[in-house]
Amino acid sequence: MELRDVVGRSSPVKIPSAATASDALISMIANKTDYLLVDRSGPHDAYGVVTRRDLIVEGIANGRDLSSTPVLELARKPLVVMNNLDLDIRWVAKKMTDEGISKIAVFDKEKFLGFISDVDIMRAVVAKKEAKK
Amino acid sequence: MTGGILTLKDIVKTFEMPTVGRLETVQSAMEKMLEIDGYTLLVPRKNRTDAYGIITKKDIVSKVIAEGKDPRKVKVKDVMSKPLVILTNLALDLRYVAKAMANSKVSTIAVFDKGDFYGYVTEACILDGVYHALRRSKLEQGVEFVSC
Repeated sequence: MELRDVVGRSSPVKIPSAATASDALISMIANKTDYLLVDRSGPHDAYGVVTRRDLIVEGIANGRDLSSTPVLELARKPLVVMNNLDLDIRWVAKKMTDEGISKIAVFDKEKFLGFISDVDIMRAVVAKKEAKK
Repeated sequence: MTGGILTLKDIVKTFEMPTVGRLETVQSAMEKMLEIDGYTLLVPRKNRTDAYGIITKKDIVSKVIAEGKDPRKVKVKDVMSKPLVILTNLALDLRYVAKAMANSKVSTIAVFDKGDFYGYVTEACILDGVYHALRRSKLEQGVEFVSC
């Protein structure tokens, strides 16, 4: 099972970099997702990602007012990126564990293919086992 | 809500958590998670003196798949977290519920009230609670605006 078999199933919901944390919270609940891609402000800026856990651990747990906190202060930026599509899924899981994250951005050369999440990995592992039966 | 502060009691959810046996394989735990689209399973205890355990998608990704182990050969009991992280003060500020989750690096906390099991609080519960409080305060502001 390789990285290329797993990536690109879903396209992430975007949020502008000037948004607040409460905008992010509302967007997550409205779109029924647990992460958002934070758009960059220009060609020299990096993309970021903000997850449900970021809002809780960085925002709520520190007693910050979400409606006055810029989402950029809670987001993780730049993205953790992988670009070797031939890589075994095992090493994608290992990277996630080492970085302590649950979403990795996947690029093929310049082209953004999408995010891969921990659930995607589990789904791939289960699908592979079922195909073998 | 008490005095505008969200507390643990406002966000805790009482539901039966799906379970998986401690001797089952990680493979069957994964299948169950994907089937119910819920990524936390409770592992029942062996007997009265044993503790409950919990297994999440993170346990599986980091302790089984990342280590290159075969999920059909690894048992749930070898990768689960045990005992549960618990909270007992229902009047606790939401902020410290979030902090407890951050400190113990977990995503689900069991809640007990006076020694009895009460429910669970998950990451989604916290965000839902904050979201509804936010919406309420926006509505209140809107009403004030109209009355001016």
